[in-house]
Amino acid sequence: MSTKQKDAAVKTGMRFEFLKRLQDAVSERPLEAIEVDPSSLVRWSRRDLLLFGAGGVATLIVGGSQLPSEVLRRLGLDFYKNDGDNRRLLSKAVRVDDDVSAALYSEHHLVPTYAKSQITPLKNNYNGATPDPSYIPEWQLTVDGLASGLSVSVNIRTLLGSFRLHEQITRLVCVEGWSAISWWAGLRFDELLRVYPPKSDAKWARMESSVNRGPWGNPDPYYVSLDLSTARHPQTLLATHLNGKPLTVEHGAPLRLIAPVKLGLKNIKAITRITYTKDEPPDYWAKRGYSRYDGI
Amino acid sequence: MSRVMQLTDGKIVTSARPLEDRALVVRRHHLLVRISHWLTIPLLIGLILSGLSIYWASPIYHHGPDPQSGNTDYLADAGTLLCAHMPWLCHDADPAHWVYNHFSLGPFMLAVALRVHWLCAYLFMLNGLVFLIGLGIGGGWRPLVPRLSDAGGGLQMARYYVGVPYAILARRRRVHPGFRTKYNPLQRLAYCSVVVAGFLAVATGWAIHKPAQLSWLTAIFGGFDKARVWHFWLMWFFVAFAGPHIVLVFADGWDTLRSMITGWSTRVTRPKAYEHEH
Repeated sequence: MSTKQKDAAVKTGMRFEFLKRLQDAVSERPLEAIEVDPSSLVRWSRRDLLLFGAGGVATLIVGGSQLPSEVLRRLGLDFYKNDGDNRRLLSKAVRVDDDVSAALYSEHHLVPTYAKSQITPLKNNYNGATPDPSYIPEWQLTVDGLASGLSVSVNIRTLLGSFRLHEQITRLVCVEGWSAISWWAGLRFDELLRVYPPKSDAKWARMESSVNRGPWGNPDPYYVSLDLSTARHPQTLLATHLNGKPLTVEHGAPLRLIAPVKLGLKNIKAITRITYTKDEPPDYWAKRGYSRYDGI
Repeated sequence: MSRVMQLTDGKIVTSARPLEDRALVVRRHHLLVRISHWLTIPLLIGLILSGLSIYWASPIYHHGPDPQSGNTDYLADAGTLLCAHMPWLCHDADPAHWVYNHFSLGPFMLAVALRVHWLCAYLFMLNGLVFLIGLGIGGGWRPLVPRLSDAGGGLQMARYYVGVPYAILARRRRVHPGFRTKYNPLQRLAYCSVVVAGFLAVATGWAIHKPAQLSWLTAIFGGFDKARVWHFWLMWFFVAFAGPHIVLVFADGWDTLRSMITGWSTRVTRPKAYEHEH
């Protein structure tokens, strides 16, 4: 055996030795047998059975009380018919999750951006009917709740003429679970906030689309709440272009919100009014049981 | 009158009472481990039921729209197929909803399913923490650490289980391989990997819940869409674990089930001296 081979053998041996010692350090210790009165075993068993049984019953009651009434109805357990699905623990969980999302959020953390080759198709996910494009020529954005106390209305030409367009390829994540990578261009919300500063105590933006339609084409204004910290994020755009072309009616022409740090449902299309408020404004989907903050 | 017993691990146990009045037990599971073990069941059920309701909103496994129904979801197809061949199982208005009506909170329940999922998910993480603390202070983590010798022992156990159905049919005796450890190698593999799966389920959950703020985590699992696939199949891992787990607990006997409630087990490696005295 050459010295080299010997060295290798020693090395392998050492490696095994190390693994063995590591295994000894974490290996199980023999269970220590204890000596007890048979009667105390009976007592312990009774106590634990009662405790775990009570815990099981409590879990069933608490868990069952949080089930949606639709599920209870199907199980034949809907003793309180149509109780409005007001479930305290579930609401608490959503609030906790919203707080966690807000704590995770940072204005300085940028979301991943992608290459043009990674762009995926984006479906028209208007909840109801897609609005008739006849609103587009007359379209104006009204901004309210400003420091000046005035209300400003601008059309798309003015917006495009007075703001620089920024481009980004980001992912839009829908609450339903699908996502799409798209190439967006638009003005930074942050720059709109600088040009038309909100009143000093404003913390929220209420964003509204008056052209939104319900499933039967009925008027169904859409509105979202957006915290101003998210509005100031460098990747939060008031988008005017998708994949290099002006927005089409399906994607919210002529101006929509693109906030990649929020779920898709916050990314309101065809914005007609932005109002800055001190208190949290109502939100279309929060009223329908979804969370309010929707940070991702 | 005092008796001295030599246990296998070298411990000396002394007793002033006659043998008939004594029972020898070992503490098998720490109280926190037991509590979290049982809480896992309702939490996992809640997570799976709500998880499938969330899945319904945007199925991972889908195809082009069906020309007649416009359906794109394989799980909906499964319901339709089942109802076409086994109509006695189906009382649903829409057979495409069969799977969701039976294994989830139901279709069209996304908002409430998300709430249930967050509630169960946060409790699942807390419960996991309680479990880990219990493993830590009870020393129960040691028997779960895989060993070098597990490969051979695991194969031995697998061979045993494969042969069991035949042995039952042929009315042959089949000797269970003996191990001196708390768990046999296959058990250890199963329990160890289900803990890892719990970790991964939480991690993939966060990866698809916060893909913007935790983008590094999402990237570890290959991006948002792949993390969803991971998360979906981890659910199946728990389902696949639960089946044999329940069957084997009952096959193994009352002592195993009892020890997860009371903590103690009468399966003591009895010293020779003890048996001789009887």
